[in-house]
Amino acid sequence: MTLTLSEAGQNVVAGTFGRAMKRAGEALGSMSGQIIDVQTPVLRRCTAADVLAMAGGAESVVLAVYVGITGSLQGHALLLFAPRDAHRLAQILLAGLLGPGELPIESTTDPLSYDELELSALQEAGNVTISAFLNELGMHLHEPVQPTPPQVAVEMAGAVLDAVLLDLVSDADQVLAAKTSFSEHGRAIDGTLFVLPRADSLRVLLDALGAIGI
Amino acid sequence: MSLTATSSLLAAGIGEMVLSSSPDDHLIAYGLGSCIALAVWDPRARVGGLAHFMLPSGPANSSSPVKFIDTGLDTFLRALEAQGAVLNRSTLKAAGAAAMLTVGGGLAIGKRNEEMMQTSLTERGLNLTAASLGGNVGRTVQLEVADGRFLIKSLSSVTEL
Repeated sequence: MTLTLSEAGQNVVAGTFGRAMKRAGEALGSMSGQIIDVQTPVLRRCTAADVLAMAGGAESVVLAVYVGITGSLQGHALLLFAPRDAHRLAQILLAGLLGPGELPIESTTDPLSYDELELSALQEAGNVTISAFLNELGMHLHEPVQPTPPQVAVEMAGAVLDAVLLDLVSDADQVLAAKTSFSEHGRAIDGTLFVLPRADSLRVLLDALGAIGI
Repeated sequence: MSLTATSSLLAAGIGEMVLSSSPDDHLIAYGLGSCIALAVWDPRARVGGLAHFMLPSGPANSSSPVKFIDTGLDTFLRALEAQGAVLNRSTLKAAGAAAMLTVGGGLAIGKRNEEMMQTSLTERGLNLTAASLGGNVGRTVQLEVADGRFLIKSLSSVTEL
């Protein structure tokens, strides 16, 4: 079943998702020790092709951290970075964890190659960021929302996103996509957070917010 | 060898198909993961088509004619015949159906897509000439209408199938 959201209902969801995405950006900033700017989130009902365009095109290469959303609200969350920005973020995170003397040498030859430490740090960054989003959302819900273990992939955006999109469009032509971008204050580490809820599971959120039927 | 980037690139977006009889055209589908692309080329009529299927089965869909393999395959094949292609002398090549992420408890849509493609073609008396299916790599594919070459680009290589 697909839930049809009125404009007012969509605004309520957008406001709640927006606050949760700001929390996610704050969590990423806290973890990295950097000031992270969070763009005003957008919430769109759109086609699978539109989502791919929002991610920079199906062939754009990204480092993606994927977390499934289970529990009373269901869906998918992805944190995407351009490969060079992902390397920079990994270096910042590892410097904080290991100390400057132990920092691995930054690889500049192949932006698509990551060592295990970098992948682990980025996976954890995605986990912390998306969990912060879910924790904020969970404050509005009567039943828990749980993340699945994070998965990380370096691939074309289309290849990473299509499994998620196929799960959502099997019985609908459109998906509800929430997106925001993070950037490090002063020097760009552009990241994009996508949250793609199953439309039929949004009822639990609307109900909890008292927005059902508006 | 590289994929061509010219004004005669015709892209099949997710759930879409493109067809051409112009030798200048290059038919392309970007960033396939679990989706599956089927390229058909008739060497005598010099007609080619590329379909970017999303899911194994579902109702016919006018806005995305090849969203589902079971209901979209005939739409694609009939469109090729309308352009002059004869299927039993054409090459049929497929790519995609990868498993990039474990989504929804191991739904394995890619594997189901591969099985449905094989079954649906067999039911119609057709077989794949060549295929690059499965694994965990993303693929961009390109069919050259002029000579039927089918190129597959991943992050690490470009190969001809």
